[in-house]
Amino acid sequence: MTSLATEQTMSKITGRSVKLQRSIVIGFTLLAALLVLGTILVPGFISPRNARSILLLAAFLGLASLGQTLCAMVGALDLSIPYVIGGANILFPSLLVTGMPAWLAVIVVVLLGAAIGLANGFLSFRLQGQALIMSLGVGFAFVGAVQLYTSIGSVYGGTVFAPVPDWLRNIAAFNGKTFGLPLPPVVLVWLLVTLVTIWALYNTWFGRSIYAVGGSRTAAARLGISETKVWTSIHGISGAMSALTGVLLLGFSGGGFVGVGDPYLFTTVAAVVIGGTSLLGGAGGYGATVLGVLVLTVLTSLLVGLGLSFAAQQAIVGLLIVPMVAVYARTPHIRNQI
Amino acid sequence: MSQRFGFPTLDRSLTVPLVLFAVLLVAAALLSPRLFTATGMGGAIIVAAPLILTTLALTPIVMAGRGSVDLSVGPLMGFVNVTLIGWLSASGYTSPLAVICWVVTVGALYQLLQALIIIYVRVAPIIVTLSSFLVLSGLNLMVMSRPGGVAPEWMMTWGAGTTIVSPVLIIVLAALALWAVMRRTTFYSHLRMTGADERMAYTSGVKVDTVRICAHLLGGVFVGLAALSYTALISSGDPTQGSSYTLQAVTALVLGGANLAGGRGGALGSTLGALNMFLISYLLSAFSFGSVTGFVTQMAFGLILVASLLVNVFMTARRTAF
Repeated sequence: MTSLATEQTMSKITGRSVKLQRSIVIGFTLLAALLVLGTILVPGFISPRNARSILLLAAFLGLASLGQTLCAMVGALDLSIPYVIGGANILFPSLLVTGMPAWLAVIVVVLLGAAIGLANGFLSFRLQGQALIMSLGVGFAFVGAVQLYTSIGSVYGGTVFAPVPDWLRNIAAFNGKTFGLPLPPVVLVWLLVTLVTIWALYNTWFGRSIYAVGGSRTAAARLGISETKVWTSIHGISGAMSALTGVLLLGFSGGGFVGVGDPYLFTTVAAVVIGGTSLLGGAGGYGATVLGVLVLTVLTSLLVGLGLSFAAQQAIVGLLIVPMVAVYARTPHIRNQI
Repeated sequence: MSQRFGFPTLDRSLTVPLVLFAVLLVAAALLSPRLFTATGMGGAIIVAAPLILTTLALTPIVMAGRGSVDLSVGPLMGFVNVTLIGWLSASGYTSPLAVICWVVTVGALYQLLQALIIIYVRVAPIIVTLSSFLVLSGLNLMVMSRPGGVAPEWMMTWGAGTTIVSPVLIIVLAALALWAVMRRTTFYSHLRMTGADERMAYTSGVKVDTVRICAHLLGGVFVGLAALSYTALISSGDPTQGSSYTLQAVTALVLGGANLAGGRGGALGSTLGALNMFLISYLLSAFSFGSVTGFVTQMAFGLILVASLLVNVFMTARRTAF
């Protein structure tokens, strides 16, 4: 009897990991197919120049999607990400204008992002069915407040002009160099963040707690895992990562603009979903999202190379999402859920 | 809890939107009494109608549960708008009957497609509507690359908003009447049961798939009407502005006391939520914030949204304590 039960649990566990592996295999296949298609259809697709631009854009999306992945793993969606990115993108230069040293300003902005995320998580904990809309409200409030703060005494509402520090420009701009190599350092930052996150998700108590809470709230509580702590801290991480992305994007674009985060509202969700992290919680991981980010960026680059307009790109990405998800994340029929 | 089904008594979730509405009306009367003239009121109805109708469109879909917030309502409204101007009017079909049939059919058919994907592909509704958002936003720009075109001749006077009773008001009232009729059908109680607990509804013999399809069809009809009032408001086609209605409508829905998790919500609450959104931006524009009005409005929406969610939590906590 016991052995039978164990066997069933075992097969359930392997079933889940097979499912995850399947999504990763599909992701790699898709990535390879896109690269082959690109090589055939677009001249100069496999060039150091194009690879650099793909990796650079993927790094921003990847950093912004980290928080979204963690939130999706417990069944939440953080819609405040674009607003925190936009807010950080204009708050950082306006702090520089006041004469604050750049390193301090980075710390202040990232900590503020974390605080906004923590507040978001704390407020939405009791309202988990509506966490989506709570994060939206917190995002609106934050970006509105930052815009008010930065436009006091300025004639340009929503846009901030300040000299961007050279080191920040080097980190995130297209022609940035790492120890002389022609690769913007932000890509290495992303790689480092990825390695740390994947290691932490599998090897730390906190990382396992996220999976536990996402898998079953009751079981996690029986293990003595505080759902409140997990829920709040992942939202805090999401806020901090969004703020960091906002600061880095300033180095990329060279001028603060509040709308810079807007595309990230849906692309972070799309990257998480294409990667294979189910929005229902409990499965997936950051490695899958990295794959999703790469697929999405290579696809966009391919579509741009084919000369498609932004509108057509958007439509094609949208059309791809449902079949992608249908391959690995179909919910069981209602008669099998009872 | 089960007692509340079928009783047409005022839902307690309506308390917050009603109180907020009253406060905002008093504030508007004190700060900017221009609203209460025939022109002020007429203009307000024209401006608020697309938001009211998109919020109404979200209502049955959200009530059907599974966290199915339809993110595509905004772009879908834009799609109906641009196809109406760019395809239908441009090919010479401008009679009122053709236009009304077009908006309602396109809205309903698209929502039917979404419902079928949700039911048969069995992908989480939020993913389906998210991809719809992207596809439709792209398609709109492909149908019409920039704002332009003209609305049919007979619709030109609709957007004037000089009298209280205007065709747009009649559209809104027709939508509310449709909801009132729907409330009296079995479908309505099945919709609430499905949203509150789909498994229980299924085991009790409710045809949950049919309920979901009907909810989306009803939402689609409302999106069509929203597109009609939106076309009247701008008297032309616009491929991008429609998309911004999604977040506004979701905000209005929550301000109106609906539960995004499903099962709770109604036309009255949604209408109040949309009116509250309109009144907030109206009041803020009455102050002279100058170039920062947009920022103040955004912050105010955010704070009011957070506060209204928290009050709802507080009230539900008290209700379960009884």
